[in-house]
Amino acid sequence: MPCYTTDEPIYALATPFSPSAIALIRGSGDDILSIIAPYFTSDFRKYPSSHAIHGFLKGTDGKNIDEVMIIKYEKGHGYTSEEAFEIMCHGSLPVIRSIEELLEAIGIRRAEKGEFTYRAFMHGRMDLTEAEAVEEIVRSKSEKAGSEALSRLTGAIKREAEDAKERILNILASLEVQLDYGEDEIPEDWEFPHDEICSIISRLEAIAATYSASRLYSEGAKVVIAGRTNAGKSSLYNAILKENRAIVSSEEGTTRDYLETDASIDGIPVRLFDTAGIRETDGEVEKEGIKRSEALMSDADLVVYVIDPRDDDTPPSGDNTLTVYSKRDITLRPDAISFSSVTGEGLDEVIRKIAECLMKGNTFTSSVPSIDSERQRDKLLETAAALRDAEKAVSSGYDIIALYLQSALSLLGELTGAVTGEDVLERLFSSFCLGK
Amino acid sequence: MSVSSHLSVWGNDMRDYDAIVIGGGHAGIEASLALSREGFETLLITQSLDAIGRMSCNPSIGGLAKGNLVREIDAMGGEMGHLIDKTMIQMRILNRRRGPAVQAPRAQADKFSYSRLAKETLEKEHHLHLFMDTVVDMIVDGGRAAGVITERGWHISAKTVVLTTGTFMDGKIFIGEYDASCGRLGESAAIGLGDSLRRLGFHTGRMKTGTPSRVRFSSLDLDEMEVQYGDAIMEPFSFESETIERPSLPCYITYTNETTHRIIRDNISLSPLYGGKIVGKGPRYCPSIEDKVVRFPDRERHQIFVEPEGVGTEEMYLNGLSSSLPESVQHDFIHSIPGLRHAEIMRPAYAVEYDYLDPMDLYPSLESKILPSLFIAGQTNGTSGYEEAAAQGLIAGMNAAQLLKGEKPVILSRTDAYIGVLIDDLVTKGTKEPYRMFTSRAEYRLSLRHDNADQRLTEISYNAGLATKERMTRLAKKSEDILSVKEILRKTRMDGRSCYDLVRMPETEITELSIPELSSFPSYVLHEAELDIKYEGYLQRQEKETEKAKRMENMEIPADFDYDSVDGISSESREKLKLVKPLSIGQASRISGVRVTDIAVLSVAVRSRKRG
Repeated sequence: MPCYTTDEPIYALATPFSPSAIALIRGSGDDILSIIAPYFTSDFRKYPSSHAIHGFLKGTDGKNIDEVMIIKYEKGHGYTSEEAFEIMCHGSLPVIRSIEELLEAIGIRRAEKGEFTYRAFMHGRMDLTEAEAVEEIVRSKSEKAGSEALSRLTGAIKREAEDAKERILNILASLEVQLDYGEDEIPEDWEFPHDEICSIISRLEAIAATYSASRLYSEGAKVVIAGRTNAGKSSLYNAILKENRAIVSSEEGTTRDYLETDASIDGIPVRLFDTAGIRETDGEVEKEGIKRSEALMSDADLVVYVIDPRDDDTPPSGDNTLTVYSKRDITLRPDAISFSSVTGEGLDEVIRKIAECLMKGNTFTSSVPSIDSERQRDKLLETAAALRDAEKAVSSGYDIIALYLQSALSLLGELTGAVTGEDVLERLFSSFCLGK
Repeated sequence: MSVSSHLSVWGNDMRDYDAIVIGGGHAGIEASLALSREGFETLLITQSLDAIGRMSCNPSIGGLAKGNLVREIDAMGGEMGHLIDKTMIQMRILNRRRGPAVQAPRAQADKFSYSRLAKETLEKEHHLHLFMDTVVDMIVDGGRAAGVITERGWHISAKTVVLTTGTFMDGKIFIGEYDASCGRLGESAAIGLGDSLRRLGFHTGRMKTGTPSRVRFSSLDLDEMEVQYGDAIMEPFSFESETIERPSLPCYITYTNETTHRIIRDNISLSPLYGGKIVGKGPRYCPSIEDKVVRFPDRERHQIFVEPEGVGTEEMYLNGLSSSLPESVQHDFIHSIPGLRHAEIMRPAYAVEYDYLDPMDLYPSLESKILPSLFIAGQTNGTSGYEEAAAQGLIAGMNAAQLLKGEKPVILSRTDAYIGVLIDDLVTKGTKEPYRMFTSRAEYRLSLRHDNADQRLTEISYNAGLATKERMTRLAKKSEDILSVKEILRKTRMDGRSCYDLVRMPETEITELSIPELSSFPSYVLHEAELDIKYEGYLQRQEKETEKAKRMENMEIPADFDYDSVDGISSESREKLKLVKPLSIGQASRISGVRVTDIAVLSVAVRSRKRG
């Protein structure tokens, strides 16, 4: 059950979740600076409170996420009066997402709405009136009403989650009955239901995997245009941009080796990259550029590989690669997708094909319903992990297995509504004939 | 001091007694002992001095979760552990195979010795007085409970009253068509008190429970039944008992069959439960045999335990056969069961329906919100079981004593004890069926083991003035021993690893390691050290949750807090908060249906009130 607390480390994005120049992420709670310190290249200890510190944030894998400024607040100084920080990062959605992922991974949870104000008040920030704190919480209640855990799940996914909950509850009840009644009353030994647990885990993971599909709509896909030098990459890039009248900005890539822009392809928000050409080279600078292109490609949702029909180039292998031929006006490849940036011929088809590829490999059409938030995905995966832990605890005794099953239920309960001890007993009494 | 010698001073400021306890059952015993042992002149009024500490139903104490309650009662200086240790006739540790945190002791009692010893124990207490009469009304003075009025016309005054009437308030028993105004078969109900309390504004309801027939030992076909022996070693419930040397009697196991079920089905319309005569809600976890047959028609048989009721009696208790069918039907279905074909039925099974008082009208101290100075404990609060009753009796008695001393009540939290879970559930959520303790009700059950009840609770009780100095000394020695054992394990190495790490593994037992230095420690010390080590990792996981819970428990809500003055709380939550009057934000958060945001708003409001 979520609840408003004080001192527990929390974070929240203070700026809107949309592409912008700069985003601000706040954190607050006991020891929050030492929690994040290992992932920040500068040393907080060298700076006084309320001081902005420049550095790089690193992910748990050690790779840089973004160049940021962090303002540190010692206890008693910040908005909440708790130890706190404010991260100012670049406002691109993948960057914000990566930072949020980092914070969750290191044990800082997402704040409830109004929780920062709540804490500020509880810690005696007298410049806040009670009314203000109450108002913010109450407002969050109405805002949240439409998006409360239970109603945020819709249709099929809700049924799936509830089905998983039911199945775990049944297993837990069959185990709890052994803990609440003696072996003389329930003489049958309990067997760990490996098959059932495995089936629940794979179901949960299948639903979680749909997240990348629905993410396309909420956060956009990463599409990288690649190919040899002069294959016609930039022409395609510019052609797609021409189709997009509603482009926000077209900025240069931070490395100057590629261009990136936000676009919309068939309604799917896309972050489009035009990379440096790939070719054998001895030039150090160019080598570096090619390395970066390859990194971008490996990370992309879709690589659009452009080939000049007059070259004997072959596209790289990979499920996420769409091969298109340029210069259709010069040499037409009837067996392949092609376009001409001069006549505009074939461009519509290329764009439609890109959209198709983005949707394909995403499981909208499969039997598994899809989810649309990272939080949902995380809870599903955490539930699956707790079930795996239960499996690992088989030799440790029923009480320990029960502990993990309960934790699986309470994680899933954040999506489906909480499961109480009373629910477990209810299930137990209705499924088992009990009572000496 | 007797009742009559003090009646003369009624009318001025003098009171007859410091405290009056109504009822001499398992709750009344603990309440009256707690009060008198703290030095308060206490009068226990009972309808029958011969029925003190009577086991109305099964002749056993303890069991899963219940055994933990008994040990907690003992750790706090209660009496139940001593009583069963001196009267047990079989003892078992349940669920040895199913995980150490959920093991618990259960013992069969010689119910007659138990009851006699209970009375003797009460009689030995200097400040405790026993009196046989029936309380019919409360004396109220200045809106507070100030004494009682009895059936024979006595007006007895006291500064505080503890009510523990069990199933006797307007109790009614049912056997087929037959019904009678009784609390137990052959014992009159307490008529009038329920009405008096309703007049005072108490909310009452009806509950139902039942008990099986008793049959004669010499009429059983023992060779047709399985024999169930107890453990070879009788382990004591009380932390003050060392070893128990008592004779052990076996129980017997038999099963119902298709014939039994057919007889029951054919006569189901004669059951007052199915005929609609009984309105009270019965317990789902302890159904009558007719319930089991109807609800689980696919079951080919149901297990029946035949348990001795004592050493000096032939009466045997048919555990699993509680019923309210007519006696002739009872005879038929009992005689259809192997081992019982020639059973001589000495007492019939019956259902009993009684008034209970809504426990949501109580504070967690068990003091009434409706009538201050009145404490209520036991089955009257909608619970079932001797252990649940005794646990409440102890807390009610202790808190009546705290009130007399002008001190803050003793309130155990859900993280402290099963007793804390029990009382918090009752006063925060109420109950719709007789409430029984289960391990699944406790969120932190891994730390609420029966063997560490003294470490969790004895000091709390000692500080309140009940647990004795001797208990504290004993506890200190035990804690020291456990530390020494852990230290020895850390220092001793085997196969390149410390024994401490070896014990951490689920499959390693401390005694298997055969460490000579450990041989001087008592087995319970070794056992407890072992469990501490095995559960260490899991307990640490739990600790963060426990801390969070404690912090919310520590945010107190003033007793006179005005919920109407807070904007932003939904009206549904507001009504519930006004009803429960939670003492802390933690308790408020457990009221069913109160929203998270309402709790947040409430804590803001409470905080701002405190700043003034």
